[in-house]
Amino acid sequence: MTSNLSRIGFGLAPLVALLLLWQAASAAGLFPPQVLVAPADVVAALLAMWRNGELVAHLSISLTRLLIGFGLGAAAGLAFGTALALSRLAEALFGPLFQALRQVPVLAFLPMLVLLLGIEERFKIVVVAIAAFFPVALAAFDGVRGVPRSHFEVAKLYRTPLLPFLGRILLPAATPPVLTGLRIGLTRAWLVLIACELLAAGSGIGQMMEMARQLFRIDVVLAGVFVSGLIGFLLDRGVKLIERRTLRWKAA
Amino acid sequence: MRAHRHPAARVALGLLIPILLLALWQAQAEVGGARALAFVPLASIAAAFAELAASGQLLTDAVTTTSRALTGLVLGASAGVLLGIAMGLFRSVDRLIGPLYHAIRQVPLLGWLPLIGLWVGNGEAAKLLIVGLAAFYPTVLNTYEGIVHAERRNTDVGALFGFSRAQLLRHVLLPGALPLILTGLSQAIAFAWIATIGTELLLGAGAGLGATMSLAQAQQRMDVILVAIAITGLIGFTLNTLFARLRGHLLRWQPAIA
Amino acid sequence: MNVTTLFDTPAAASPPIDGALTIAGLSKDFTVGGRSLPVLDGIDLVVRPGEFVSIVGPSGCGKSTLLRLVAGLDTDFAGEIRLDGKRITGTDLDRGLIFQDHRLFPWMTLEENVGLALLNSSIPKAQRARIVAEHIALLNLAGFEKAYPHQLSGGMAQRGAIARALVTEPKLLLLDEPLGALDALTRIHVQTELQRIWLRQRSTMLMVTHDVEEAVYLSDRVIIMGAKPGRIRRIVDIDLPHPRERSLPQLHRLRDEILAELIQPVPTPGEPENLVRLPVREAM
Ligand SMILES: Nc1ncnc2c1ncn2[C@@H]1O[C@H](COP(=O)(O)OP(=O)(O)OP(=O)(O)O)[C@@H](O)[C@H]1O
Ligand SMILES: [Mg+2]
Repeated sequence: MTSNLSRIGFGLAPLVALLLLWQAASAAGLFPPQVLVAPADVVAALLAMWRNGELVAHLSISLTRLLIGFGLGAAAGLAFGTALALSRLAEALFGPLFQALRQVPVLAFLPMLVLLLGIEERFKIVVVAIAAFFPVALAAFDGVRGVPRSHFEVAKLYRTPLLPFLGRILLPAATPPVLTGLRIGLTRAWLVLIACELLAAGSGIGQMMEMARQLFRIDVVLAGVFVSGLIGFLLDRGVKLIERRTLRWKAA
Repeated sequence: MRAHRHPAARVALGLLIPILLLALWQAQAEVGGARALAFVPLASIAAAFAELAASGQLLTDAVTTTSRALTGLVLGASAGVLLGIAMGLFRSVDRLIGPLYHAIRQVPLLGWLPLIGLWVGNGEAAKLLIVGLAAFYPTVLNTYEGIVHAERRNTDVGALFGFSRAQLLRHVLLPGALPLILTGLSQAIAFAWIATIGTELLLGAGAGLGATMSLAQAQQRMDVILVAIAITGLIGFTLNTLFARLRGHLLRWQPAIA
Repeated sequence: MNVTTLFDTPAAASPPIDGALTIAGLSKDFTVGGRSLPVLDGIDLVVRPGEFVSIVGPSGCGKSTLLRLVAGLDTDFAGEIRLDGKRITGTDLDRGLIFQDHRLFPWMTLEENVGLALLNSSIPKAQRARIVAEHIALLNLAGFEKAYPHQLSGGMAQRGAIARALVTEPKLLLLDEPLGALDALTRIHVQTELQRIWLRQRSTMLMVTHDVEEAVYLSDRVIIMGAKPGRIRRIVDIDLPHPRERSLPQLHRLRDEILAELIQPVPTPGEPENLVRLPVREAM
C-alpha cells in the first residue's frame, strides 16, 4: 500500500518538477504572456470559471452529449456486431458496407452531417454515436465470433432458449473483448466531440477553447486542454476498472 | 437455404443493402424541396466527380493530403520509435518521460488545436504537429512494450556470445520488438490519416481533401463532399493495405498464424 | 568436402591441452518471495581437458542453474569456478551453451543464426562464411542455410543450435538437455553426430540429461546429483574406449546401476533426517 503510494509519488515527481520549472520560467518573464502563461494563472482561470459556473455549464453540456451519443452508438454497435456475428445472412448483407464505411475517418463525415442535420444538438449526438458505433460493433463481432464453438454446441444440446443463451453464455464469454471495444469507442467519442465543438457549437469544452483562442486567452485554452485531458483520463480509467472487475469475476 | 455460402450470391447480397440505400437516397432527391439540398441526385454526384477529376483538383487534393499525412507519419513515428527505444532501454528515461507522455496522451488530439493555433498559427506547421503527434503516441507505446518485454531466452543468447549493448539492440531487442513496432505503426497510419482530415477540416484554408470538404460545406455542395468522403476512404484503405503487405514481408520469419 | 574425411579419422586428433574446469565450494541461493532458497550447496568438481561428463539428477535439483553459472549468465554465487585456472566472471566465447530448446532467433535464417555467434570472435571476417558453411554441413543441414527456424523440424533446429554453439570452437561446451525435445530416433542419430564431433574437436563437454542411456553411451563420467539442496551424490566412471557400441553389455549394466541409484534415494551419511519426508511436514 505505502509502496504503491510512494511509487505513484515518484512517478509524479518529474511532472511536478516540470510544472515548477514552467512556473519559474514564466515568473522570470521568459515567455511573453500571449505565448505561455504560468500554471498558477491557468489554475486561477480554472477556479474563476468554476466559481462563476461557466466551467460546470460547459462541462455538463459536453458530458451530456457524450453520454447520450455514446449510449446510442454503443447500443447500436453492440446489437449490430452481435447480429453480424450470429447470422451469416446478416454478415453477407451488411458486412461489406460496414467494412467500406469503416475505412472513412469519422471526422470526414462532419461536413456531410452538417448539411444533413444542421449544427444543432442532434448533429453532435449523431457524430458521437457514429464514433462510438464502429469500434464497439467491431469488438462485439470479434467477441461473439471468438466464443468457442463448444459453447454453442452445449447450448444446442440442452436446447437453451435464445434469451438465456444470450445472457448466460454469450454475454460472459464475449464481455472482455467488448469492454475493450467500449473503451476505445469512448475515447474516440470524446475526441470527436471535442472536434465537433471546436468546429461548430455554442457551448461545450471545445467551444470554450475555441472562443478563448479567438480572444487570445491562453490561460483559458490551457485550462480547456487540462479539463479535456482529465475527462479523457477518467473515462479511460473508469472502463479499465470495470474491465478489471469483470476479469476478476471471470477468473473466480 | 444456404444461398449466402455461394461466392456469387455473397457478392450479390453484399451489394443489396448499398443499392437499396442509394435508391432511397435518389428517391429522397426526387421528392425535391428542402431535402434536395442535402440529398443530391446520384447523377450530380457523378458529375461532380467528373468535374473535380477533370479540373485536376481531385488529384491535387489527394496528393496534398496524402503527402501531408505521410510527412507527419514519418516525423511522428520516427520520434516515437526513438523515444520508445530510449524508454525501454533506460529506466531513468522511462521514469522521467513516462509520466509526462501518459499525461499528455490523455488530451484528445484535436483539443491541442486552439493552443497550437495560438502558438504556430493555422498553417502547415500546425497540421504537421497534430498529424505527427497522432503517429507519435501509438509508436512510443508499442516500441516501449516490445523492448521492455524482450524475452529472457533471447537476451541470454546475446549474453552468451558476448554482445555489446548496441549489438544486443540491433540483433536481439529490435527484431524481437518488430512485430509490436509494426502494430504501433499500423495504428499510427490510421491515426495520422484521421488527424490529417481533421486538421484540414478544422483549419480550413489551403489544398487538401478536408479543406475542400470544408469549403463545400460552406457552399452547400453535398455532391463534392460525398466525392471527397469516398476518396478519403479509398486512400485510407490503400495505405492500410500497402502497409499490411509490408508488414507481412518484414515478418516473413514468423510462422503463419493460420 | 574435407569435412567428411575428418570424420573418418577421429583417433587422429591430438589430446587437448586446455578446457580444464574446476568448481570448488560452489553454492547458489535464489530468493523466492523474500525467502532464501538454497539451490546448489557445496559443489566440488574437476573436469579434465577434453573429457565428456554428464550430469543426471531429479528435476529441480539445480542442473540448469549449475550450467548457467558455468556459462557466466549468472554471476551471483558463492565459491569458485575456474576454466584453465581463470576465474569465471561472465560470459565468454571460450564457453558455449546449448539450451534445451534451440533458441535460434526466429527472425534470422539458419546461416545468419550460426554466423551471429562469430560477431565478436577474432576470426577474420573473410573466413567466417566458410566456417559457418562448414559447421552447417557438419550437422547435415546443408541446403537449409536460408531457412528460417520455423521452417525447420525440431531435430533440425536443435542441430542448428549445436552448430551455432560449435562455430566459436569453445574450449568448454555446456549442454542442457540438448536432445530432450527430440523423438527417440532423431535422438539416437544426433547422439552419434555429437560423439563424432566431440571426437574430432576434443573440446570439454559438460552435459545435463534425463536420459541415463545417453549419458552412459557418450560420457567418460556420469555425475549423479541429489535435490534440496542440489549436491553431487555420486560419480560413476565409464571406463570404455570411444566410439562405443550401443549394445555393449557393460553400458547396460552401468545404466541399470545409475537408474537404481536415481530411483532409490540413498541416505547421505550424517543427514538421515532428509530421508523420511512426511507429508505433514511438507505442508508446513
Ligand atoms: N530465476 C529463478 N528464481 C528463483 N528460483 C529459481 C530460478 N531458477 C531456478 N530456480 C529454482 O532453482 C531450482 C533448480 O532449478 P533448475 O532449473 O536448475 O533445475 P533443473 O535441475 O535444471 O531441473 P530440470 O531437470 O527440471 O530442468 C528449482 O527449485 C527452481 O525453482
Ligand atoms: Mg533444467
